[in-house]
Amino acid sequence: MSFLGRGGSPNTGGVSMEKIEMAITELDTVTDFFNRMVQSCHAKCISSRYADADLNKGESVCIDRCVSKFNEVQKKVGEKLQARGQA
Amino acid sequence: MTTPISEKPVPPPATTLPPKVSGIRTVLRYTGIPPSWLDKRPKLPSRNWLIFLSVTSSVVGMYIYDRRECKRIRQSYIEKVQDLSEERLDTLAWPRRVTVYGGKWPGDEDYDQSMKYFRKYVKPILVAAAVDYDMIAGKKHGDIANRVANDIRLRRRLDLGIDEDPPATQILPTYKAIPERRKLELEGGIVIIGRPTFKEFMAGLKRGWTEGLEKIDQDEVLAKQLEDDTVFDEPEEFDLDQGSSQASTGSKFPSGKPAFSPIQLQRSLPLRPPPGSNSIPEHLNAPPAVIPPLPPMLLVSFTNLIGLKQIPLMIWDFFNQRLKVQSGSDAGYRLVMKATRPIEVPSVTEEPVFGDTATSSEESSLGDLEFDKEAEGYYKNSLKSIPQDIEKAREKYYEALPAKIAIARALSRGTREPTKEEYKNPPPTEVELRAERMKKEKRWRSDLQGWETIKPEAKVAWDERFRDAMRIFVDPPHDGTQN
Repeated sequence: MSFLGRGGSPNTGGVSMEKIEMAITELDTVTDFFNRMVQSCHAKCISSRYADADLNKGESVCIDRCVSKFNEVQKKVGEKLQARGQA
Repeated sequence: MTTPISEKPVPPPATTLPPKVSGIRTVLRYTGIPPSWLDKRPKLPSRNWLIFLSVTSSVVGMYIYDRRECKRIRQSYIEKVQDLSEERLDTLAWPRRVTVYGGKWPGDEDYDQSMKYFRKYVKPILVAAAVDYDMIAGKKHGDIANRVANDIRLRRRLDLGIDEDPPATQILPTYKAIPERRKLELEGGIVIIGRPTFKEFMAGLKRGWTEGLEKIDQDEVLAKQLEDDTVFDEPEEFDLDQGSSQASTGSKFPSGKPAFSPIQLQRSLPLRPPPGSNSIPEHLNAPPAVIPPLPPMLLVSFTNLIGLKQIPLMIWDFFNQRLKVQSGSDAGYRLVMKATRPIEVPSVTEEPVFGDTATSSEESSLGDLEFDKEAEGYYKNSLKSIPQDIEKAREKYYEALPAKIAIARALSRGTREPTKEEYKNPPPTEVELRAERMKKEKRWRSDLQGWETIKPEAKVAWDERFRDAMRIFVDPPHDGTQN
């Protein structure tokens, strides 16, 4: 997951409010992303007739693809947003 | 004659009933329907109508029949395999994954046709059986060969321990160590669509297992070659430094030769010996004598029809897509069922000493390497002239180049003021000309090399080491009857 404007934290001492803010925002973003992904891929890939507790191969492959696509889309959208923000 | 009176035919007494009316007529007699309608008899339509209706209905019928057959065939194959997708899979386990190579068909600008064939005819079966796939399309001729060769190089490096997986990957919970990954790869497969792709793949395979392990930057090699070329030489005979784009002020040095030779020597020296940072010991760099087994290959025959002359064939194809569905689904089924056999290529006999290109005995069967040879009959004739076309383009370019160089140099050195048009649209500077030349040369060379790999006269690259390493998917044994 590529996040915009997230550099490694410099070693300046002290806990500044902005860094905490940034961290909180990032955590929120990541959690939201994850939740949406789980929601969406579950809705698309797993039928509501539960025959078995384990994932079968078809569902497994479907989930792999769903996550991969979700990631790609998130990356692309993020890049576009960043380009827009800079322009 | 006879007496008229007694022989005169007498009309029968009016005791006959009026003509008996059929059931419908009685029922409908008193509705408002005109009686003539009730008397009508079925009649064939006119000749013109007959022609029109028969032609239209036969065309539509062919189309509908074909598409229904396609659906039926596809569905039957899907039903055969879909139980495989219901098996369990551990959450951290990897599903079976195949790599699909689809190269550019010669003469077709649309490089995606082979992939489209795969997606339309083979993929449904794979999806139904929950087999995952990586699709690798080649945008230009030779792309797949380069990619395969590079992949093999990286794999060799990984296997020999020269490279390692980055530590970030190694701590992931889904990380699998190399031997396990290789095992999973072998479970997978390689799908090759069409003979051009097959040729490219084999060429790349051979190159990958025969070349060294160093990463050779093709751009640098080409740059070096072009640098030693005399195209950008001045009549006063000194070479300007070229190659790196930082030489933006290169054309501004009017000084003579001595000032340049040390700089040029300095630049060229580091390039001559191999980069010292990761020199690989000889014994590792040598091509291995035994190649680890490759995942089994699925050879999917594919013919792309292009050109005006092939339009009748295209039309026939449009109405007979069920054949493609059949062969594609069959291929997918073979892949899913995993029945394999070792590749069969007869051992190469020695080239006769007076080997002539006209010997027909050389045409003896090459076994599996002759996969889909008929498809090459469909290539356009204009493809044969590709090398000459490239040469002509080259000549034209190099004829026009000195003039452009002269203009660029004159302008940059200030020996001449730019004219009004040149002010508005500045002509390319020398650096741009060099970059452009490099780009063109790169394109020409890669096109030429790609065509040399693919052309019908080129033989499929083969190495004896492949014999034990390659396997081919075949029809599963118990499945004699299909559909």
